[in-house]
Amino acid sequence: MPAFEYRQAEEIREALSRFGVRYLFIGKSAAILLGFPDTTQDADLFVDRNPMNGRALALALRELGFALTDEQEAEIERGKDFVQLKNGPFDLDLVFAPDGIERFEDAWNRRVEVEGFPVCHPDDIIASKEAAHREKDRESLPRLRAFREYWQQRRGRK
Amino acid sequence: MEMIEEIPRDWLEEFEAAAKRPLELRFRYAFIKTYKPIMDDAPFRSFDTMADYRRWCEENLPRWLGYARV
Repeated sequence: MPAFEYRQAEEIREALSRFGVRYLFIGKSAAILLGFPDTTQDADLFVDRNPMNGRALALALRELGFALTDEQEAEIERGKDFVQLKNGPFDLDLVFAPDGIERFEDAWNRRVEVEGFPVCHPDDIIASKEAAHREKDRESLPRLRAFREYWQQRRGRK
Repeated sequence: MEMIEEIPRDWLEEFEAAAKRPLELRFRYAFIKTYKPIMDDAPFRSFDTMADYRRWCEENLPRWLGYARV
């Protein structure tokens, strides 16, 4: 599986928009969209959990080329907390209940648009990483917090 | 600008450099692919709760991947 590419992010944006899916980029892929210079392996999407949105997402994923069985599609429609997809043109993690964020609606109201990509606010990216308590996040959090300060200052200057 | 001055200089230079790059180029620099044992060996996984997922990571993935909780 080659590395995730910009054109694939565009494909996600276009397909999910076409099917009316409510989602946000989250995790390090979201930070990268905001300008954070770091490396990551794949994209993470925070998806609004409701039956209609889940159905729309499953249809969009099939159109993107993910080979979903009926059972897998049902799990996505139901909105399990975490779904890891490696059965398509690129790897994708679907997060329906990220640690550290109470409700999708709150994150949606705080979202940042970057070239049409809906992206979690840095506060939410950091909150979810803090709440996960993983070794790999502990290493990246100080730099990510510094980036938030930089991003906020830069945003204030515009 | 007081807050920016508190950011380590090398990080600040990296942030400034990244801000000048178009998004497509930032993607090219950011996304890499290396094989993650066990994690990459199944085409689909799902977990009812995030706690289940975290537990699965701790019980199945090599510690050096960094997914264990601290």
